[in-house]
Amino acid sequence: MPPLIFWGYELSEETELFLGEELAGVTRPGRYLGIEVNAYRKPFRSADVTCVLVYPDAYEIGMSHLGLSILYEEINERDDAMADRAYLPWVDMQESLERRGIRLFGLESRVPLGEFDLVGITLQHELTYANVARVLGLAGIPLTAAERGEGVPLVIGGGPGAFNPEPVAELFDLLVLGEGEEVLHELIDAVKGWKSTERRERGALLRACAAIPGVYVPSLYSVHYRPDGAIESIEAERGAPMPVRKRRLTDLDRWRHPRRPVIPLVEPVHDRCSLEIFRGCTRGCRFCQAGMIYRPVRERAEESLRAWAWELVENTGCDEISLSSLNSADYTRILSLSGGLASEMGEKHVAVSLPSLRTDTFSVELAARLRRVKRTGLTFAPEVASPRLRATVNKVVSDEDLLSAVSAAYREGWRKIKLYFMVGLPGESEEDVEEICALVRRIMREGAHGGPAKGLRLSVSVSTFVPKSHTPLQWARQMSLPEITRRHFILKDGLRMRGVNLRWHTREMSYLEGVLSRGDRRLLPAVLAASRQGCLDSWSEFFSWERWLGALEAAGLDPSWYVERERPRSETLPWDHLHAGVDRDFLWEEYEKAVRGETTPDCRFSECSECGACSPPRAQLRLAGEAAP
Amino acid sequence: MLKYRKEGDASFLSHREAMRAMERALRRSGLPLDFSEGFSPRLRMSFSPALPLGVAAEAEYLEVGVAGEVDPDEAREKLNLALPAGLRVSEVLPVPPNMPKLSRWARFGLFRVEDGGETLYLLLALSGEGQGRLKDAVVALAQRGMAAERPMLTRVGLYASPDEVFEDVRGKVIIFDGRTGELSEIEEEPDGLD
Ligand code: SF4
Repeated sequence: MPPLIFWGYELSEETELFLGEELAGVTRPGRYLGIEVNAYRKPFRSADVTCVLVYPDAYEIGMSHLGLSILYEEINERDDAMADRAYLPWVDMQESLERRGIRLFGLESRVPLGEFDLVGITLQHELTYANVARVLGLAGIPLTAAERGEGVPLVIGGGPGAFNPEPVAELFDLLVLGEGEEVLHELIDAVKGWKSTERRERGALLRACAAIPGVYVPSLYSVHYRPDGAIESIEAERGAPMPVRKRRLTDLDRWRHPRRPVIPLVEPVHDRCSLEIFRGCTRGCRFCQAGMIYRPVRERAEESLRAWAWELVENTGCDEISLSSLNSADYTRILSLSGGLASEMGEKHVAVSLPSLRTDTFSVELAARLRRVKRTGLTFAPEVASPRLRATVNKVVSDEDLLSAVSAAYREGWRKIKLYFMVGLPGESEEDVEEICALVRRIMREGAHGGPAKGLRLSVSVSTFVPKSHTPLQWARQMSLPEITRRHFILKDGLRMRGVNLRWHTREMSYLEGVLSRGDRRLLPAVLAASRQGCLDSWSEFFSWERWLGALEAAGLDPSWYVERERPRSETLPWDHLHAGVDRDFLWEEYEKAVRGETTPDCRFSECSECGACSPPRAQLRLAGEAAP
Repeated sequence: MLKYRKEGDASFLSHREAMRAMERALRRSGLPLDFSEGFSPRLRMSFSPALPLGVAAEAEYLEVGVAGEVDPDEAREKLNLALPAGLRVSEVLPVPPNMPKLSRWARFGLFRVEDGGETLYLLLALSGEGQGRLKDAVVALAQRGMAAERPMLTRVGLYASPDEVFEDVRGKVIIFDGRTGELSEIEEEPDGLD
């Protein structure tokens, strides 16, 4: 496409001029430079397929994200493709771009997003959905797939949000379900092949992509609604898969990225290198989407992780390696891996850390051996305090587990501990919430081996339960704003004590999250309207519930219908055509067990519960050593 | 001690960001660095005074403790491989034992002011008596018609006292007094008069 390439080049110079004049006037201009160490900076013009990976949030957040850094290397290691990066510019830079008529560009090539072949956007969180529309708007790319014609990039979505992307599905030409490493290469091959054809018809490309397992092309599916708003049916065009099944890698040791991650210029929210030690978690917490959609557990071999860790340190000069996963203390060889790495790396003054801890003494001892974690304090996530709710959410920790974990931490010298709790769970009464207060008081009273934990500072962080698609609680109702307010006040009253600091998530944000997490396609006009009115929900100063309410009302939609309604089993859910590996019947059984207060064991330590993720059972489960409960 | 340049895009890195980039590069370089003791060992580093965003620099300094022998040329090459474009180490110099700390001697900054017309040199106290802000000095220059409103600025050197600037420039230098807002000219003393 010679004219397009020429065009891209021209515009790139215009961008250069723009940056020269505007950078001095915006906050943290380092976000927009693209001169990071380890950035590939591949020439735009010589690649057969050009891609730009977008994190629809600020640079500091996007640069901390592991998923995109994996795909960035996968693409750039190919000879025939290049990948650039983009983030949502801060509001001052957004304003500069619009005022000067400059379209959002890739950081490294400084070529506008609209000139690339593929624009990949990750959906990590519902509160970035309006940001996605903003990114496309700033890039001058037609917002919906239906409006896009020849010469416009394919807009691709991915990440956990792709499992129910419906409120924004029509912004995407296609979405990738599951782990993207393999499927991305297949997509690039398809685009490359298509670019070498005579006619380059967009519809043909989309149909070719839809044939790739794991690819969801929303325009090939039509949704029909009943008069009450529930879905009557979802129909796939001929040739489009029904359901679309997610992609997953089995032998993770064959997939080792990132090895040379881009070093952020502006300090990111998590300033460390991540070493992904395994994927998946089968503890089976019933509210947790990650614990369902990434099954089964696939651990990497210890030896290859060690070598990889060194590679990361050498290539980045980082001072901290985080052993990341959904639950790192669960890694079967965690003692030898973390201990070995910590002692080897200590000499180089590199700390080894764990991002999350289980609520038990084992985890505390593990953290104590790594020591450096002490800087920030320890975090436990008991989530609920009453035994009944523990069974509901399938999080089998007792008060005693928590107390002994806290006293172990206290003994090891920690004085700052953070506890995560969740309110608004199905079947939760006000007494259940009071039990949180009682438990916290008990920790302060008995946290030091049965005695008062003097000098202990507890930070209690409370989230609101938001039902997520592809989880056992996907049918449940989410509590109304007044119900949650009531709970927050119970906590506020019950936890007025020295040393305890209580924080909760903004109620309206969780409510909006609930609208979008189980939303359908009818929500798109509201998302677009909110985005037009400047809602950037992940940045609390630009979150406005009033504007959202207005946008929802204008679209003729009632948020409480999405949020506060329990769905019957028979109802077609907006994501029923998307299969995350775990069967709907298994999820329903789990939902019934949640209501009955029965638990389900972890398949690593007991028998397979036949969730559907493996076929045959256990076949894709990978452990680096013996599993020990 | 490292002498380095901060130019082009890199001039838009804040002081903190430039420090971060330097620290990462030092860690990658494999040099025998000297770390502080304790739970979270830190690199012992000190930097020249912060530069305002967008101002380039030709001779900034960084002091870092090393615990062993260092080959200056090799160190420079290794560091430059690990730095973002625009940050470049130009020299690696051993610090003589009697040399005062960077923060003690780097008290005056010399700036080149270019606006397409005649090039000016502006001297500013960065700390202590008469300390001035670059922004105010540029406004004063513009008000007196000596430079355009948004000239290109480059810090070309750091000094312990005003007369040292003449080791690097010849001729006229304008000095800005932060207390009074006055601009005055200083000139090189003819040899043999001190
Ligand atoms: S199929 Fe069985 S072994 Fe595999 S993840 Fe599900 S419960 Fe575990």
